[in-house]
Amino acid sequence: MLENITVSPSPHISRPLSTRRVMIDVIIGLVPAVAAAGYYFRVYALILIPTCVISAVATEWLCNLIRKKPNSLGDFSAVVTGIILALSLPPGLPAWAAVIGSCFSIAIGKMVFGGLGANIFNPAMVGRTFLTACFGMLMTSWMVPATVDSTMPKIAPTEVSTKTIVDARTQATPLALSKQAIKSKSEAGVVNEQLEATFTGGIGGCLGETSALALLIGGIYLFVRRTINFHIPLAVLAAAFVFAAIGYAVNPQAYIWPMSHLTSGGMLLCAFFIATDPVTAPLTRKGMWIFGVGVGAITMLIRIVGEYPEGIMYAVLLMNAVTPLIDRFCRLVPAGGRPEEIKN
Amino acid sequence: MNYKLQTKAKFSESKTSLFSKRRREPSHPASVSFPGGTHPPGSKELTRESKIQPGPAGKQVAIMLSQHIGAICEPLVEKKQQVQAGQKIGDCDAFVSATVHSPVNGKVKEIALRSHAVLGRGPAVIIETEPENNPPKQPCSAKFTSDFNDDSYSAEQIRYAVRQAGIVGMGGAGFPTSVKVEPNPKAPKEAMIVNGCECEPYITCDYRIMLEWTNQIVAGVKLARKAAGCSEVFIGIEDNKPEAIEVMNTALKTSANSDGIKVVPVKTKYPQGGERQLIKAILKKDVPTGGIPPMIGVLVLNVATTAAIAEAVVTDWPLTHRVVTVTGEGIVNPGNYYVPIGTSVAELIEFCGGLREEAVRIILGGPMMGIAIADLTTPTTKTTGAVTVLTEKQIGGAKFAGIQTPCIRCGRCLEACPEHLNPTKIAHAVKNNLLDVAESYYISACMECGCCSYVCPANIELTGYIKTGKILLARQKKKIPQ
Ligand code: SF4
Ligand code: SF4
Repeated sequence: MLENITVSPSPHISRPLSTRRVMIDVIIGLVPAVAAAGYYFRVYALILIPTCVISAVATEWLCNLIRKKPNSLGDFSAVVTGIILALSLPPGLPAWAAVIGSCFSIAIGKMVFGGLGANIFNPAMVGRTFLTACFGMLMTSWMVPATVDSTMPKIAPTEVSTKTIVDARTQATPLALSKQAIKSKSEAGVVNEQLEATFTGGIGGCLGETSALALLIGGIYLFVRRTINFHIPLAVLAAAFVFAAIGYAVNPQAYIWPMSHLTSGGMLLCAFFIATDPVTAPLTRKGMWIFGVGVGAITMLIRIVGEYPEGIMYAVLLMNAVTPLIDRFCRLVPAGGRPEEIKN
Repeated sequence: MNYKLQTKAKFSESKTSLFSKRRREPSHPASVSFPGGTHPPGSKELTRESKIQPGPAGKQVAIMLSQHIGAICEPLVEKKQQVQAGQKIGDCDAFVSATVHSPVNGKVKEIALRSHAVLGRGPAVIIETEPENNPPKQPCSAKFTSDFNDDSYSAEQIRYAVRQAGIVGMGGAGFPTSVKVEPNPKAPKEAMIVNGCECEPYITCDYRIMLEWTNQIVAGVKLARKAAGCSEVFIGIEDNKPEAIEVMNTALKTSANSDGIKVVPVKTKYPQGGERQLIKAILKKDVPTGGIPPMIGVLVLNVATTAAIAEAVVTDWPLTHRVVTVTGEGIVNPGNYYVPIGTSVAELIEFCGGLREEAVRIILGGPMMGIAIADLTTPTTKTTGAVTVLTEKQIGGAKFAGIQTPCIRCGRCLEACPEHLNPTKIAHAVKNNLLDVAESYYISACMECGCCSYVCPANIELTGYIKTGKILLARQKKKIPQ
């Protein structure tokens, strides 16, 4: 009987929680957003999302093979990266571009650093940046959701959208319109009305960013499961809101309603699923606050003052880069105080 | 204090539900706690209803000459010498040390090396006995009634008895109690905390003695208070033991001279029974990092220790027996037993019906902080509160499914650490042999509670790395000439 006896350092029990479980929870949290993407963009979502997931997983598998490392697909983090990348792409993007983006995400965004846990930048955002740099045109053509057509006019903001649709297939995103409004100092009123649709999602934009409702449901699931802390999402949204409100207060004609900034342009996707990626965010609570405020503030700076209508991607990457610095600043103080200070 | 006690007992053993990683413990309205920590399943139902029973009357006991922190005792007996139960067999002149006694009548077989769970191998007096000459010792709790009065004992008398009886902290660390209660003019003791938390899963020995030896504990508390010269006493009990809170409260109410002694319900959370955590919860004070409770005028004693003090002072009997919880899914008959100190683990297990087929790990202590042993001749010591035998199912979990991943920097270990350290940084520094970095993250402040390893989704043996790092650091310091 004794031959079965093993020894190991304490503790001898552990919480039945694994990295895989954490990732599966994130995937479950993304389901509503994926469903919304499927509903609004139909076949485009059906092509893009599986394409990204499959190519991300395949890339990770290949990288492990080349580096002669054990297979790491079991942690499901590649699947998460694939889905998040897909959700941040414009629906009309050709599948081949999505494949390139996913490969880049995993290979350059994660595996060159040494795999899960060692990467500095959010892999999905790395991939998206690469695509934006290479295929700028493709990455900024926004498609009208399938629900916004003549047969189903009720779901979308009817008059407004027909007025603003330039092309039969593509449509400027609300944020792009607001950018035009800022630049031309024209009225943002039109945009404001259209923005009401961003809550349910009948609007042009990336696959996953259109429906704020779906993202909220997913985010709430993650809170309930305690997969994410509230610090980062709250900090991101609060900082963005404050900045947007300042803009709106200064000139309500040119700047859109602050709430709209939160519900559009992937702000919620970022707050709940991208900025909260544990690997690339700070470890301590204080660090999380700083990180979140940084992401929210930089995003709004880019949106209001910068050249681009959206800024999530750059804001996240920038803050990722300073995360090691934040971690160094926000060192925890031991419960009994710092010993070096006690002595003095 | 006994409001809502009934309803709470029902919940206290509920399993982790799908939708909450922290167990929703119904907390006592007035329960206090510390920040951090975690909620492992209590698993106390295996033994919480088993009354304290006499343990095995074995053929052999092995009394370690060092069962405590401090200097090792010199043996006072020789090979082949006859010894009586209660006879002193090891002593030492050093201030920080504790004498050892024979729990049985018998003959010294030899002085040989035995393993100690924490201190490694050390000398032990091996005594052979015949069970016929050794009727099981009865607990002395019957001698104590609610009208016990400590007036007939002077503080010196109590301290002398404690020293002679070789009493050490029975909750785990084993620091000599005589040293703890010795008044220090530089740091007068303001408060005494009696630790009845028993936050470690599975173990119920302290719970049982609180229920069954209530008056003895109250007597011990009074005596210890007198010896240490403090007035205020707080008895901290986790709120998953409402019955214990109730009986202690009742006993205090009817007991003479018990002003200033108060039962404080504390939240059920691991490691609530850690000295520093308990002080934080009850007194809202932090013990300085690297310091000890006396520095802030606090004395912490385990309930089992107070019971031993009462026995030593009133009946003049040294610490030779203690209650050990033999438990876990891997044991046939779990229960609480009053056993001679020095009984081997093998004998205890045999006495409890042996191991089950599925048993894979034998732990001295509980599953969070206990030490896994492979050598069953390891004797129990004054600090052994439990022998826990687990099966694959309990230790399995994710660890054995092979899902160990790199650290995903999720921060769960930081949230759980009761000492507010950064376990992942320390562990990775140790892994990469950067001991100075580990030190800069206060590795020495770690109390090795195991919370970080317990919560880590990547299943990294954080506590294991930290322990290794401490050993390496100690070695490094020794090598460097002063
Ligand atoms: S670092 Fe030490 S004190 Fe903190 S949780 Fe881990 S074992 Fe406990
Ligand atoms: S709990 Fe584990 S995975 Fe999370 S930060 Fe700590 S070591 Fe890393």
